[in-house]
Amino acid sequence: MNPTRMKGKGLVAGTARGEALVSRIAFTFAHGVDPSTGVVTDVRSDVRGERVKGKVLFYPFGKGSTTASSWFLETVRLGNGPAAIVTEGVDLSVVIGSVMAKILYGKEIPVMAGVSRAASAELESGDVVSLDAEKGIVRLGL
Amino acid sequence: MHLDSAQERILRGDMGEAKQFAMEIASKVGDAVGADKLVPIKSAHVLAHYSSLHDAGVEVLERFANSGGKFAVPTSVDPASVDLQQWRSFGIPEDYARQQLRLCEAYAKMGGMRCWTCVQYQICNFPKKGDTVAWAESSAVVFANSVLGSRSNKITAGMDLACAVLGLTPRFGMLLDEKRRAEVSFRLDLGGLSDLDFRSVGFFIGRHSGSRVPALLGLPATVTSDQIKHLGAGASAAGPVTMIHFPGITPGSPTVSAAAGGERVEEVEITRSDLGDIEADLNQMSEIPDLVAFGVPHLSVNELGELARMLEGRKLREGIRMYAYTSSQAYDMANRAGISESIERSGARVSHSTDAEISPLKALGFDTVLTNSAKLAEIVSSEGEIKVGYLPQKEIVERVTA
Repeated sequence: MNPTRMKGKGLVAGTARGEALVSRIAFTFAHGVDPSTGVVTDVRSDVRGERVKGKVLFYPFGKGSTTASSWFLETVRLGNGPAAIVTEGVDLSVVIGSVMAKILYGKEIPVMAGVSRAASAELESGDVVSLDAEKGIVRLGL
Repeated sequence: MHLDSAQERILRGDMGEAKQFAMEIASKVGDAVGADKLVPIKSAHVLAHYSSLHDAGVEVLERFANSGGKFAVPTSVDPASVDLQQWRSFGIPEDYARQQLRLCEAYAKMGGMRCWTCVQYQICNFPKKGDTVAWAESSAVVFANSVLGSRSNKITAGMDLACAVLGLTPRFGMLLDEKRRAEVSFRLDLGGLSDLDFRSVGFFIGRHSGSRVPALLGLPATVTSDQIKHLGAGASAAGPVTMIHFPGITPGSPTVSAAAGGERVEEVEITRSDLGDIEADLNQMSEIPDLVAFGVPHLSVNELGELARMLEGRKLREGIRMYAYTSSQAYDMANRAGISESIERSGARVSHSTDAEISPLKALGFDTVLTNSAKLAEIVSSEGEIKVGYLPQKEIVERVTA
């Protein structure tokens, strides 16, 4: 079955579309993404070596240092931020990072939670998705 | 999350730009976590170190400071990324230090306490039982919840400043009785514990609790607040732990059953071989290190004294640096007691107001680090650039001195 439509909860409103980058395990920007390139560097990540820039980034949970919001913000400041973030559990660091990115840099990066790993299990990195965080909907395709 | 009329006015900007910025962050976070309202805090602890905040973090803090932001409650701050007094002699690049000093200046302008430490509860920030606080620094949050009986969530960078400026924090998580109940109980029965054991026990608990609140039975009656500090730091480095019930120590938790609100919880025995697994995982090298680092989190003046005694009559081997990290306050006390001098006689140095995990270790040319800190070992190894060894302090001293 193709997950052509996934429901979740919008945490920071906005719409986005782009290629999905899908991590199946806990993810962090803190010491885990190089802000100057947007490349995932975390040795324990399953998407190590991929770039988050312009992607709709999916992961189940956040982890690690409470400074992740700043790592996220620096990545956005340098133009390497993702188009949107979709998680299962709430990752506060990207909620805070996204709110600050809007105020400081005028960049809108919608954040959604509540999209379970089961719901996104069929989704692959590279699939094109569009989302509306206000409505809490992610669609496969444009 | 419900905002009262005064808070609505802050959000509209009636109370100035800094408070509006803070309220925008706090209200979004409150909504995201399902908080019902904002509640007053007695103190805050914020982050202002350049290594993780980057240039964007400098802009955030300066935006608060330059738009009239003042801390509404007593506020302390985590260590800086450089020794604020001796950074030149540690070889820190000028432009790196300059960004850190910008953070220091903005923080001071907002009225923060000048105690750059991750053990503020031993130095300058003393909430009492039942007080709600908003602290960043995961190891300090564990201490506040588990030993002081205060209540804090682990507050993320950016949100820390928002709470400190508002004097408010969203009510959720560890602020609620029902979220503080123990859900798993660990038990120790190992006899004597080394410095490394306390850290490894914490690390084991962090790794095996998942999102559950743990309790721990079997600590020796002689356990010190320094030992609990390192145990909590190990736990919070390995997982999302923000509280450990220590029956007999934690206020309101005389027994595991009381900590668990009368519920039965899973029991887990911690064995010698469990601790051996943690050591094997964190101790990834046997070679002679470039750097030996003690004090993640910061050493107390008593711990500096112990290190001084251990180093007595010994000299650090050629080519190895040994730094003991502490607060500027403990540093001053150690100076007055002659402790710093006796540590430095061995060739080691005492570095204050900064810490190893937030220093530019790679830029300073360190490719290998040996430590007794599970927290430092975990952080450094996940970055994959520096090799790390994890051994008891005594064994490290014997290995790198003559």
